[in-house]
Amino acid sequence: MAAYLIRRLWQMVPTLFGVVLLVFFLFKYFGGDPAEILGGLNATPEQIAAIRQQLGLDQSVWVQLGIYFKSILSFDWGKSWATNEAVGHLFATRLPATLTVMLPILILDVLIALPIAMWVAYRRGSLADRTIMVIATVALSISFLVYIIVGQYLFGFQLGWFPVQGWSDSVWTNLATYVPLPVLLAVMVGLAPQTRLYRTFFLDEMGQDYVRTARAKGLTENSVMFKHVLRNAMIPILTNIGLALPGVFVGSFLIEVFFSIPGLGREVLLAVNRSDYPVIQAVTVYLAAITMIINLLVDVMFKVVDPRVVLK
Amino acid sequence: MLLSIQDLRVAFRMGRVDGVLQRTEAVKGVSFEVAENRTVALVGESGSGKSVTAMSILNLLPDNAERSGKILWQGKDLLHTPMAELQKLRGREIACVFQDPMTSLNPVFTVGDQLAEPLIKHLGLSNKAALERAEALLVEVGMPEPKRRLAAYPHELSGGQQQRVMIAMALACEPKLLIADEPTTALDVTIQRQILELIAEIQRKHRMSVLFISHDLGVVGEIADEVLVMRHGVIREQGPVAGIFATPKDTYTQALLACRPSLDHPPARLMVIDDHIAGKARRAPAAAKDANAPVVLEVKSLAKSFWLKQGLFGKREFKAVQGVNFKLRKGHTLGVVGESGSGKTTMGLTLLRLHEPTHGEVIFDGQDLLKISAAERQVMRRRIQIVFQNPYASLNPRLTIGQTLIEPMAIHKIGASTTEREQRARALLQKVGLDDSAFGKYPHEFSGGQRQRVAIARALTLDPEVLVLDEAVSALDVSVQAQVLNLLRDLQDELGLSYVFISHDLAVVRFISDEVLVMKDGVVVEQAGTEQILAAPREEYTQRLLAAIPRGYRAAA
Amino acid sequence: MSTPARVARAEHSEGVWHAAWRRFRSDRVGLFCAVVVTAFLLLIIVAALGGVARNWQKEVGVANAPPTLLGPRPAEATGVIEVPQGPNVDLSAIDPLAPRYKEWDERAAKFKTEETVKAETLPMGADRLGRDVLSKAVKGTQISVFVGVMAALVATGLGTLLGAFAGFFGGKIGDLLEWLYNVFEAIPGILLIFAFAAVFGRGISTVVLILGLTGWTGLYRQVRAEFIKHRNREYVRSAEAIGASVWSRMFSHILPNVSHVILVRMSLLVVGFIKAEVILSYLGLGVGIEDVSWGTMLAEAQSELILGHWWQLVAATTFMAVFVTAFSLMADALRDALDPKLRGLE
Repeated sequence: MAAYLIRRLWQMVPTLFGVVLLVFFLFKYFGGDPAEILGGLNATPEQIAAIRQQLGLDQSVWVQLGIYFKSILSFDWGKSWATNEAVGHLFATRLPATLTVMLPILILDVLIALPIAMWVAYRRGSLADRTIMVIATVALSISFLVYIIVGQYLFGFQLGWFPVQGWSDSVWTNLATYVPLPVLLAVMVGLAPQTRLYRTFFLDEMGQDYVRTARAKGLTENSVMFKHVLRNAMIPILTNIGLALPGVFVGSFLIEVFFSIPGLGREVLLAVNRSDYPVIQAVTVYLAAITMIINLLVDVMFKVVDPRVVLK
Repeated sequence: MLLSIQDLRVAFRMGRVDGVLQRTEAVKGVSFEVAENRTVALVGESGSGKSVTAMSILNLLPDNAERSGKILWQGKDLLHTPMAELQKLRGREIACVFQDPMTSLNPVFTVGDQLAEPLIKHLGLSNKAALERAEALLVEVGMPEPKRRLAAYPHELSGGQQQRVMIAMALACEPKLLIADEPTTALDVTIQRQILELIAEIQRKHRMSVLFISHDLGVVGEIADEVLVMRHGVIREQGPVAGIFATPKDTYTQALLACRPSLDHPPARLMVIDDHIAGKARRAPAAAKDANAPVVLEVKSLAKSFWLKQGLFGKREFKAVQGVNFKLRKGHTLGVVGESGSGKTTMGLTLLRLHEPTHGEVIFDGQDLLKISAAERQVMRRRIQIVFQNPYASLNPRLTIGQTLIEPMAIHKIGASTTEREQRARALLQKVGLDDSAFGKYPHEFSGGQRQRVAIARALTLDPEVLVLDEAVSALDVSVQAQVLNLLRDLQDELGLSYVFISHDLAVVRFISDEVLVMKDGVVVEQAGTEQILAAPREEYTQRLLAAIPRGYRAAA
Repeated sequence: MSTPARVARAEHSEGVWHAAWRRFRSDRVGLFCAVVVTAFLLLIIVAALGGVARNWQKEVGVANAPPTLLGPRPAEATGVIEVPQGPNVDLSAIDPLAPRYKEWDERAAKFKTEETVKAETLPMGADRLGRDVLSKAVKGTQISVFVGVMAALVATGLGTLLGAFAGFFGGKIGDLLEWLYNVFEAIPGILLIFAFAAVFGRGISTVVLILGLTGWTGLYRQVRAEFIKHRNREYVRSAEAIGASVWSRMFSHILPNVSHVILVRMSLLVVGFIKAEVILSYLGLGVGIEDVSWGTMLAEAQSELILGHWWQLVAATTFMAVFVTAFSLMADALRDALDPKLRGLE
């Protein structure tokens, strides 16, 4: 196990290196001139030149790359060009808000989709199965935007069940008041694809030989489904959840924008609109690192779930 | 009478075409009985309906199956028993062992868990008591280190051990009837022998009845009391085993018995079912081969190793093939025999450089095949070709037969124009015994045997001198096997081809080979002329291999 | 039936695509959806050529005109403002511009002014600026679907090529491509899109490029897995044994056996990219200001909804829902038609 972990961590290095390279060169060669952006519309050429020198942009590409690497490794995340807020601080303050919304969504999605998918897979081909699948398809074809627009209008504006927007400092107030509407909408939208996916997993397992053996041993259908099939289907399901975990950190920027939730996603969107490069770059690089670590943890957890897995 | 099946019919719903429900009848009116303490065997080729018959007893068929008739278990009609009652019967009074133990066991539960399940469910044992009984069961089925195995997962066991676990699971509640659906087909010959002996011993000890399904008459002859021969969903003949083997009355049964390549009296040509039914007689044994024919292929110290990752940065060498030597003469056949993991297939692939060898020389017509350049190798490709085992995988499903045959000619620029190549292809099709209309068809329209013929035709398009046949007939039914073997024999006589015939089946090898190489774990264990190996094997492994082969029914002397 | 005819007919039997087409034809739902999708595609081509919705930018209606079915909005009751009594005061003495009025009037008379009568109602209503919602919806369909399909083609081409090389060769090439894949995968999708959008800006071709360059990873993974699976299959080994070249083995042998997987995957990509484009355009990161797409329509619809004007929302949603549902169901039917274990593959 230790050897495996060390090898995986070792393998992460070139990938992270690649991410940094990608981000650096993307912004360097395709992005606008940072000096001009910072200087603003009315800056004189001398001012721009001064800024350029300050940022070190007058040096060679490789030196700049080196400086960039150094800043990343020393966790100097830079400052936002728009607000001058330290990016690190930005990260720390926005992340909790994102997680407060995203984690309930993830949990609810899985908990609701699982039994529906199992039931639908069991009754494959029946009218109920096909109807639900068609409903799911239609539901999927309507953009998430529409759900949010209509949902916000209906539940917040017209019916007044939930506040249209808002956020507070206390986690519990948030969970009780501000989170329900966005979570409700997101789960509604995410349910269809999750159910379809889980249904496929269940169907795959139900066609396996060991199901026939279980029946031959005289087990009831409930036993077969809930003990044998479910346990095997958990493997691809957990993989799927594991793959969705990194997305939780960026959050659903749409939800955050609509509901004015001060999360990381909204922050990145604001940064994109303001050409606030340091924020975008830093978030990209560090989230990539987080994603890789989460993947590693998921792979290790895999060993617990699937005894056939050999970590080598 | 334990089990009485009367006029059982099973049909499968296959969906609708133009609004009409389509049905395929798999079993068309089958009746037989299984008494206590008897072993009844259901024999047939693929598609005969034998497995469907057995699976319909406990209703383990897929959802689109429809059964009719009577299945009486100790007087109760199982066809009309509610599911809850049927579930009480399953695993307790009637138990099953299936063909592929790897997929039939649940991969995420331990062996102990799976063994304990029927014990807890049917006998109401506690967890602890169930595990103790499970260990006792493992001892009974001859599992080494039973206590350790309880905590093991199925994938950690070998094929034979997995099958022992399946048998132990079936025995758990001491059933009255054991349904064994091709339990040894997926196993190596020596392991097969062990499992057969185990089943026979258990049957005797528990006075259990066994319904044994198989396609192999040799196996059936050794263990069954009664034999039922099925073909196309009906029973062709049934009766005590001695009668079936000594005096078969039905033409199909006779043909089935006659088609098997026997170890004792190899004919020049194997009988084919249809020939036999049509009444053609056996031909005389073949003429001996010319012992002084020129050597076409000489192999010296051939070795192939694979490198596997180990630890953090290390590598481990896995020696798949070590030190193989032989000389192949023109018009002769070298048989290579071994069980799975013996390295025989790897060696065959190495001869064609489909695997790059680690060491050794392969001398073909004066040139060392392993040292020639890529351009020369392309030329060599014409002279040594290969036919693979799986007829379902060796032809590209997206190409028509015609395209498959023309491709090699186009690559090597044989034939001046497409028309000429087409003509050659059609001629080859006829030579391997296929109709000209096959030219425009796709592989999925043909049976396994026919696809193998196409594969042989493709190999022949390049006019090779040496043909490597890697388990080329192993996946085929007995009678189809006979046809293809006869074809190979004929082609060898006509075209002067030399064969390297790789197989696990000694009887088949015996029929077609002049010299035999026995391999185990990558090493050549014994090497001699065919007659000598079979009459007087020197090595212990060869002797064990010979002894493991099912001989069919032998009347008690 | 005469023998020669029978022999001639048996010559060429149907291949995989033919068989799939036959199965597809018998699936009524799938066929209906295919017809719907084709109708949309025709509409798009006509719109692209300028046949319909060419003048979607013209303000032909009263601002926020309701749809025809609802009837015109009742005229707003203008409050009563006291009309001043008495004659107009003559200011020409102190008005500095007074001498020029006559000159300007003559000049103005030379220009043709179009007085369009603003329609009170339009088939699907008008937006905030009085533009015809129906025309916008049609044009938006053209843009959104075009972006979705083009981006899917780019992503599919990239993913297939890279996946084929990675899967077939393995070794160093495979490692290099895996590294590239890992780099792209490590960054969460939306973030990658945002990063690209931040540097590339807006515009149709930009969106196609962004979506294509960020969306190839899923297909790459699948194609690579398929090539790894197939490269050791016996029919490929046989091809190698008869001397087929590497290129031939990869693209004449393996690729046709994998194409059905790619096709199904690509149809999923189309749907995904259309939805992504809508969101990007909504956020102002997608198509340019001068273009309309379902996303821009939804962006406007949000503020209109509060005022009670729901028609732009409904129009955009309906067009999108119908097309995407039809396309998804058609893709499902296609997958089922291609599915029956493709006889002989397994």
